[in-house]
Amino acid sequence: MNTWQILHVPDKPPIPPHQQPTVNVLASVIEPKLANTIIRRLNQISPLEILRHVKRIQKKHVEGGKIKLLVILCVAGNGENESNSIPEGVQQLINSYQLSPFITKVCQYAATSKEDWEEQCKLWPTSFHPPTYNVDGIGRFSEEDSHSVFDFMQLTLKMARSGDGLIVNAAVIVDPSVNQIIASACDQTCSLYSSKPESCIRNCTKQPEVYSAHPDSSVVADHVNLSSNGSHDELKQRHIGASCLNPWHWAQQKLHTSSSSWHPLRHASIVAIESSAARDGHLFPGFGHDGVDSIQCSSTSIPTKRQKTNSTNAVSGDKLNAHTEGLPSISARPYLCTGYDIYLVWEPCAMCAMALVHQRIRRIFYAFPNPHAGALGSVHRLQEEKRLNHHYAVFRVVLPKELLDRDEVARTSENDKSAITGCQ
Amino acid sequence: MASPTEEQSPDDTLTYMELAIKQAKLALDCLEVPVGCVILKGGKVIAAGRNRTNKTRNATRHAEMEAIDVLLEKWQQKDGLSQLEVNEKFSKCTLYVTCEPCIMCAAALSIVGVQEVYFGCTNDKFGGCGSILSLHSSSSIPSHNGGSGGSEVVRPKGFKCTGGIMASEAVSLFRSFYEQGNPNAPKPHRPLLAPPDNALNNLSVKEEKESQHVRHFS
Repeated sequence: MNTWQILHVPDKPPIPPHQQPTVNVLASVIEPKLANTIIRRLNQISPLEILRHVKRIQKKHVEGGKIKLLVILCVAGNGENESNSIPEGVQQLINSYQLSPFITKVCQYAATSKEDWEEQCKLWPTSFHPPTYNVDGIGRFSEEDSHSVFDFMQLTLKMARSGDGLIVNAAVIVDPSVNQIIASACDQTCSLYSSKPESCIRNCTKQPEVYSAHPDSSVVADHVNLSSNGSHDELKQRHIGASCLNPWHWAQQKLHTSSSSWHPLRHASIVAIESSAARDGHLFPGFGHDGVDSIQCSSTSIPTKRQKTNSTNAVSGDKLNAHTEGLPSISARPYLCTGYDIYLVWEPCAMCAMALVHQRIRRIFYAFPNPHAGALGSVHRLQEEKRLNHHYAVFRVVLPKELLDRDEVARTSENDKSAITGCQ
Repeated sequence: MASPTEEQSPDDTLTYMELAIKQAKLALDCLEVPVGCVILKGGKVIAAGRNRTNKTRNATRHAEMEAIDVLLEKWQQKDGLSQLEVNEKFSKCTLYVTCEPCIMCAAALSIVGVQEVYFGCTNDKFGGCGSILSLHSSSSIPSHNGGSGGSEVVRPKGFKCTGGIMASEAVSLFRSFYEQGNPNAPKPHRPLLAPPDNALNNLSVKEEKESQHVRHFS
């Protein structure tokens, strides 16, 4: 593949094209010259409400250049005694045109891919509308949006190179409405990079100031040149040590020097969430968590609180740019990471995927699947869990071949998928 | 106190869960979703944790994560133990928590490798120990061979899990929390609608039926 691609990772695991569920229908050969009349009648007496994707009529070429027309009369029950389930109007039609109905199969659901569709048409023709990635209204990618997605993914890949010959997972939380980085982090399971945080701040638009609070305070502001073509490639052997790929491996790590510290749960997503929480605390100090505000809030009856909220919402649009002492106004403060996206090099494990549900992330973009521990399609599929109280949309960003060859992280991950190692 | 390695008697189980509930009450006093836990090793409470998601503005700071961090800090920073030694210590630990660990916490407990978990009420919105996923049961996760690449993938670890211990006490704490209102719940999408019964929830819990007061998960 030579271009960037954003693939939606759907809620339901894909079904192999030839195993799509089918339903029985009653069909019949009809005289071509009667087609119009019969179709018009059928649309009235037996509309195919649940099979909108299925074509009512199919044309077959038979020997001698002749054309045979087949039409769906109605949905047939799966029971043995079909004659009972034929609607009266359809039965009349059968009688008056002396049709000889037979049972055949059509695909039950509309095709979601071209492959599905081609397979469906072998049974009976259907129509196909390619998905627009409009997932709950939040996944439509314009060319501009796609570009920011690719830029942020490239930045994330760049972060995944730690200094010590190890490739780790990296996470970048972004506010897509202003293309601003909210927080970023790398895995800190092996050693806490407190002296040298692997964090970069970048701003796509020309915002006057990028804010990023880091618990470790020593944040490196790094305006990344995205066209850099990996000139640091003179490196020694790199190992993939992304925590999410092998979360249970930490105990086997041989590295143990007094200077390094480690934490089995500080995966990149968890650290980035922590960093975004710290940022919130910085930008909106004392806002209703442990002080007077909350007590007042909690003593207020529910309807009053709701009204208050409502009026706040109404003015929040105007206030978005209002600053109090250089800080955004309270009304601009999102609840946790509502509306934010996260970029990850690897598909997150169950712990990280659930942490991102808790923190209300809106969309997840990852570059590489995580075959042994991934929770967004590989081993588990959290995005299909309707019972959870929050849902995000999940996308895999496929890198162009050119970048796979050039980028060290991408190259290592592609070439050396099985080489999942610890620290050293 | 119970003998270190033997099975807990039912009385001990209740005693330890009382301690977890005490933690949950502390959370409630701080206007936090009331979940609390204690970790035991050799019949001794060695760590406690309570939910701190509101104070920290970090929705991942569940009681279990807090308690795990207490131990990591102690064993690594103070005692200078290695990864393997810490892992071994965790493998002798039992966690008592007032509500079924969520998917994140169940995964975390599996990663650090605790031996056993007792919980109060089930968590049918996020539960990772039977309600939505069963991360405590390692057999639920397909195992993989590491391939020929030399470095192997370490298999997921399960832990023994028992639910329904003092579930109604845990649920009544949630009730008091939701009655006082969660000041940090997300703003309602449609303010004019009457609030659903759990509109203020971050968490939804289900009370165990009396008849199955103690529920076993394998």
